Amino acid sequence: MISPRVPSPHGRSRELSLLAALAAILLVLGWKAPRFFAAANLADLATSVAPALVAAMGMTLVILARQIDISIGSQFAVCGVVLGLVAKLGLPVPLAAGSAILAGASLGAINGALVAGFGLPSIVVTLATMVAWREGLRWATEGTWVRGLPESFQWLGLGQKGGRLLIVATAAAVFALVAWGLVSLRAGRSVYATGSDAEAARLVGLRPRRVVFGVFVAMGALTGLAAVLTTLQFIDVQANAGVGLELRVIAAVVVGGVAISGGRGTSTGVLLGVLFLAVLGPALVFLGGKAHWDRALQGAIILLAVASEAARRRGAAHD
Amino acid sequence: MTDAAISRSTRALLLLLAVELVVFGLFGRNFLTLGNAFEVVRASVELGLLALALTAVIATGGIDLSVGSLVGLCAVVFGWLAREAGLAVPIAAALAVLAGTLGGLLNGWLVTSLRVPPLIVTLGSYSLYRGLAEAATGGVANYTGFPDGFLSLGQGTLWGGIPTQLPLLLLAFLFFWALVHRSVIGRGLQAIGYAPEAARHAGVPVGARLRLVYVLSGSVAGVASLVYVARLGQAKADAGTGFELMAITAVVLGGTSIFGGHASVPGTLVGLFVLALLQNGLRLADQPAELAGVLTGMLLLLALVLSRERKPS
Repeated sequence: MISPRVPSPHGRSRELSLLAALAAILLVLGWKAPRFFAAANLADLATSVAPALVAAMGMTLVILARQIDISIGSQFAVCGVVLGLVAKLGLPVPLAAGSAILAGASLGAINGALVAGFGLPSIVVTLATMVAWREGLRWATEGTWVRGLPESFQWLGLGQKGGRLLIVATAAAVFALVAWGLVSLRAGRSVYATGSDAEAARLVGLRPRRVVFGVFVAMGALTGLAAVLTTLQFIDVQANAGVGLELRVIAAVVVGGVAISGGRGTSTGVLLGVLFLAVLGPALVFLGGKAHWDRALQGAIILLAVASEAARRRGAAHD
Repeated sequence: MTDAAISRSTRALLLLLAVELVVFGLFGRNFLTLGNAFEVVRASVELGLLALALTAVIATGGIDLSVGSLVGLCAVVFGWLAREAGLAVPIAAALAVLAGTLGGLLNGWLVTSLRVPPLIVTLGSYSLYRGLAEAATGGVANYTGFPDGFLSLGQGTLWGGIPTQLPLLLLAFLFFWALVHRSVIGRGLQAIGYAPEAARHAGVPVGARLRLVYVLSGSVAGVASLVYVARLGQAKADAGTGFELMAITAVVLGGTSIFGGHASVPGTLVGLFVLALLQNGLRLADQPAELAGVLTGMLLLLALVLSRERKPS
C-alpha cells in the first residue's frame, strides 16, 4: 500500500534496481576485466558521460513537463559549429561557450514558442525543427568541419587533465543544480505539476504554458552546454555531430524511471540511467563481447525497463 | 472535425503540389517529363509504403518510430538468407516479411498488453531492431549479387516505363484506403484515436485493433525492405535510416492528426509526393539537397499551425 509520505507512488524501486544492475556490471567487470578500473579508462568514461548527463538533465525537465524534444541532436550540432566559429574569431573561449549556450537557448525558445504558444504537439514540432536545423546547418557549412581552432581552445588551454576535471565538474554542478531545483524551487515543482495535470496546475495559479516554454529553453541551453563540453575535447568541430543524440538521451531518462506521461521521476534515477547506459557499451567490449551488439542491447534494456515498470504498475493496480 | 475542414487541408496540399509543379517546371531541367515522374515514383515507393501503414497507426493516436530500423533488419535478414544461407529468393523474401511482422507483433504486444506508450515502445525497438541488424552484420557486411529477377522489382519497368514497384504502392494504397475509410475496422481505429475509453465502451476491440495496426506496420516494413534492396541492389544494416521521420512527415502533412482520431489515406499519398517532388525538383533546379530538408521542416510546421483547429482539446 502507498504510504502518503513517499513522494512517488513507486517509491525508490527504479533507483534501487538500476543501482543493483550497475553494481552487478561493475562486479563482473572487477572480476573478469579489472583493466576497466584503470584510472585512464575511468577518466575517459567520465569525460564522455559528462555531456550526456547535461543533456539528460534538460530532457528530464522536458519529459517531466509531459513534452519531448527530439531536435536536440541537431541543436547540438548547431551549437558546436557556433562555438567553433566564434572561437575562431579569436574571442575568448568563455565568450564562445556563452554564445553556443545562447544559440541553444534560442533554438529551444523556438520549439517552446511553437509548443506552448500555438499548442502544437512537441513530438512533431521538434521533428520538424530537427530536420530543419540539421539540413540548414549542412547547407550553411556544406558539410565541412570547422578546423584550425586556437590552441587555447582544446581543454580550455588547461591541458587534458585540467580540462577533463573542469568538464566533469561542470556536468556534476549542472546535475546538482537541476536536482536541487526540481525538489526545492517553485519552478521545479511547477514542472512536476504541469506534467501531472496541466489544467490542475493552472487552477492552482501556475502558468503551465510558461513552464513548457521554460523547459524547452532550458533544454536548448543545456544542449548548448553539452556541445561545449564535447567540443572542448577536440581540435575540430564536426558539422554532423550529435546525430542520434536525442534517442540516446531519451533512452537514459526513460531507463532512469522518468514517466513519459509526465510528472513522475527523479534526478537520481536519471543519473543512474545515464551511467548505466554509458557503462554498458564499454563493459561489453571489456568483457570480450562485440561492440556492435551495443545498440541492440540498449534497445532491449529500454523495452525491459518500460515493460517491468508497466508490469509493476499493473500489479499495484490489482492490490 | 468537419468534412469541410478536412477537404480544405487536402485542397491546400494539392495547391502546394501544383505550385511545386509550376515552379520546378519553370526552373528544373527535364522536370515535367514522364521519365522524371516515374523516377520520382520509383524513389518514393518504400517511403510511401511506410507512410500508408503509419497512417493507420497514427489514426489510433499511436506512433511507430521503429519502421526505418525494421527496414534495415528485414533487409539484412533477407540478404543473409538469400546470399549466405542460400535459400531461394521467394522463400528468403517471405521470411524477411515474416521478420517484419514479428517485429510489429512485439511492438503491438508491448503497447496493448503492457500498456506502454507507443512512443517509448517503438523508441526502444527503434534501437533494438537497428542494433540487431548491426550485430548480425558486424556493422560491415553488405549483401549484393541478387538475381536479376529480384532486382527488377526495384529497377525494372512494366509496359514501357512504369516502374515495377508502382503497382505495389497502388495496391497498398487501395488496401489502406479501404481499411481506414471504408471498413468498420477503420472507423474503430479513428474512434480509438479520438477516445480509447469511449471506443471500448462502444464495443471496439481496442487491443486487437491496436495489435493489428502495429503488425501491419511491421509487415509493410518487411515489404518495403525488399523493394529497397531490389532498388539499390544491396542489403546493409543501415537500410532505411531516417525513413520513420520522413514517413511521419508525409502522414502529418497529409492531414492526419498526430493526436489520432482523424486520418486521411489519400492525404498521405499527396503528402508523400509533395515531399518527393520537393527533393527531386530542387535537385533538377540545381539547388542544394539540404534546402529540401529545411523546407520539409517548415512545411510540416506550417501544416501543423494551419490544422490546429482540428486538434481534439
